[in-house]
Amino acid sequence: MISTLSKHRFPYLLLLPSLLVILIVVLYPFLYNFWLSLSNMSLYHIHDAHLVGFENYKNILLEPELYVVLAKTAVWTFVNVFFHVGIGIGVAMLLNQSIKGRGVYRALLILPWAMPQYIVALTWRGMFNYQYGSINLLLGKWLHLPPVPWLSNETLAFIAATITNIWLGFPFMMIVALGAMQSIPAELYEAAAIDGASAWRRFRHVTLPMLKPIMVPAVSLGTIWTFNNLNVMWIVTRGGQPSDKSHILVTYVYKAAFTYYRYGYAAAFSVLIFLILLGFVLWYLKTTHALREERR
Amino acid sequence: MRRRSIFFLIPPLVFLLAVGCGGGGEKPITIWEQMDPEERDIFAHHIEVYEQEHPGVLFEVSHYSTDDLRTQFQTAGMAGGGPDLVFGPSDQVGPFSVMQLIQPIDELLTHEELNAFRPDALDTLDGHIWAVPDQLGNHLILVWNSDLISAAPMTLDELIETAKNVTVDENGDGVPERYGLVFNVSEPFWAIPFLTAFGGWIMDSNNKPTLDSPAMVEALQFLKDLRYRYGIMPAECDYELADTMFKEGRAAMIINGPWSWGAYKKAGIHFGLARLPREAKSGRWPAPMVSSKGYSIGNRVKGDRLTLVLDALNSLTSVENQIDFAMQLGTLPSRQAAYADTRIQNDPILRNSLAQVEVGRKMPVITEMRAIWDIMRPAVQSVWNGTLEPAEAARQMQEHAVAKINEMKG
Repeated sequence: MISTLSKHRFPYLLLLPSLLVILIVVLYPFLYNFWLSLSNMSLYHIHDAHLVGFENYKNILLEPELYVVLAKTAVWTFVNVFFHVGIGIGVAMLLNQSIKGRGVYRALLILPWAMPQYIVALTWRGMFNYQYGSINLLLGKWLHLPPVPWLSNETLAFIAATITNIWLGFPFMMIVALGAMQSIPAELYEAAAIDGASAWRRFRHVTLPMLKPIMVPAVSLGTIWTFNNLNVMWIVTRGGQPSDKSHILVTYVYKAAFTYYRYGYAAAFSVLIFLILLGFVLWYLKTTHALREERR
Repeated sequence: MRRRSIFFLIPPLVFLLAVGCGGGGEKPITIWEQMDPEERDIFAHHIEVYEQEHPGVLFEVSHYSTDDLRTQFQTAGMAGGGPDLVFGPSDQVGPFSVMQLIQPIDELLTHEELNAFRPDALDTLDGHIWAVPDQLGNHLILVWNSDLISAAPMTLDELIETAKNVTVDENGDGVPERYGLVFNVSEPFWAIPFLTAFGGWIMDSNNKPTLDSPAMVEALQFLKDLRYRYGIMPAECDYELADTMFKEGRAAMIINGPWSWGAYKKAGIHFGLARLPREAKSGRWPAPMVSSKGYSIGNRVKGDRLTLVLDALNSLTSVENQIDFAMQLGTLPSRQAAYADTRIQNDPILRNSLAQVEVGRKMPVITEMRAIWDIMRPAVQSVWNGTLEPAEAARQMQEHAVAKINEMKG
């Protein structure tokens, strides 16, 4: 270690400023958050907060509500990422064909991602209105369905937020997949076609394996983003409406911290969220072998 | 060569230091506010006038949404920073004072100076006043479209009758194109006038919640009837929908506050203001919550700077400035002297607004209010959606509010 340090002193010196910045903006807040999670810091204990051990963790784990919210978060994350990747790859395959006006389609399809989440979520909230929202109006006009109470029913509000987030999130996966597809050599498809492989087999045995190295990190990123996506759930359901039931873990924590000023409790909650995500990512990287070095 | 290469590091380090230290010179008076756009324009003008009259004094105003202002001010204050002045609704002084982020005003102003304000604009918490009020109100009132109805209803029964008459389903699809009444049912703030009309209130004199009361059950039943029994309100009616419908002339009456009137004027709606109509049986007026908006002084402001800040504050909240706000935006001044001015006395909007304030009830500024709002919200929504009976909703509110307050006090 010491010998590497002295041998590569200059590169390390160059790295020093950014290391310092990382230390200040990442490591310090992280450790401070952990300290908070072990304390009773709250509105009434701002100036006399003291350590209470794992009290906050115990309270959280004993709350039955935690498991309901956790289950909802798991469903929220899985459904969103599933459709982001599914729609993303599907659309990318269409865009990868030589079709007329490809550039226009590509620009249009990336729009959802280019728009500010806040505006999109508010717009969708308006579209989900029971009597005047465009979704119910269209459902009534085209399918002759009765209006759906999207925002006043617990399950439907959850579905509404999910639809909004799927719409917002698929373009990212589309762009990533499209980039990966364009780097697949055409010879592979030609060779497969000569061997008599059907379109499905070409997709299954050429496209998918070649997409994997790119899509695996994208999916882990997507999972973390979706798991921690406060905006969409918070805005579409107006902070948990109806009846404070539409929550995922992050909105639940946000409320504890900023409505009730329960800083210690919220900090402990965020440590738990961190651990859940860390566990997931490690498991995911291990099972998909994303970190295995390519042998050539 | 190797020895000299270390100099490459100097520019980024110098940059970091420069960013960290900031510039020198006269420090401007910093104000954080959560004003509406129209309010901000007038405020900017007042600031400009003050700067011209006091060369060398500069202001730095930052705008936040109400919620952001609260969290940002807390975060900055706890880290030993934050602005000199923070402007916002009176209930934000609750957490700020508990966290010791602001100074008690009563120790900084003389009796005479304090007496210049209307007593109902000064909020007391823990025996101290924590903000210099700039405006009074923030109260709900009945706004009625004078093209659709000829006079404001006088009782709640009349309100229902009037609304029924103007609720119209033009194309016969079962969904009215125009409704008699709209207001934001998803916020419990709008339920308070009905609670008080039936004789209830949210807490007792010891700040303990009193949400499970016959009055609450009656009020919730009344709300529910507006939708299910009388059909005079849309099924999902949040703030945006209510506001838009009134602006488009698709709602004859709306219950809304002073912040909204300017936009109705701009939308070309002919409207009148009236007290929320009384409950005929008891003769009680619904009492919307009344609160003030004003400036609190950060706890770091001391010595000469405090003198400077207090002088600026005195000018910013002067009678003339308050009348300016009142005439342009319809806000009620907090200074008593402003009410002697004929411009205020002769303005119909301000007269009606004041009439509503006179029967209103002060919004408590204690921190427990956050739990009360947060607990009332889902219960009122569930009653509105038909998933909870009023009596059960009232019982749950009380139980959950007590538990939440205990949790908060931890």
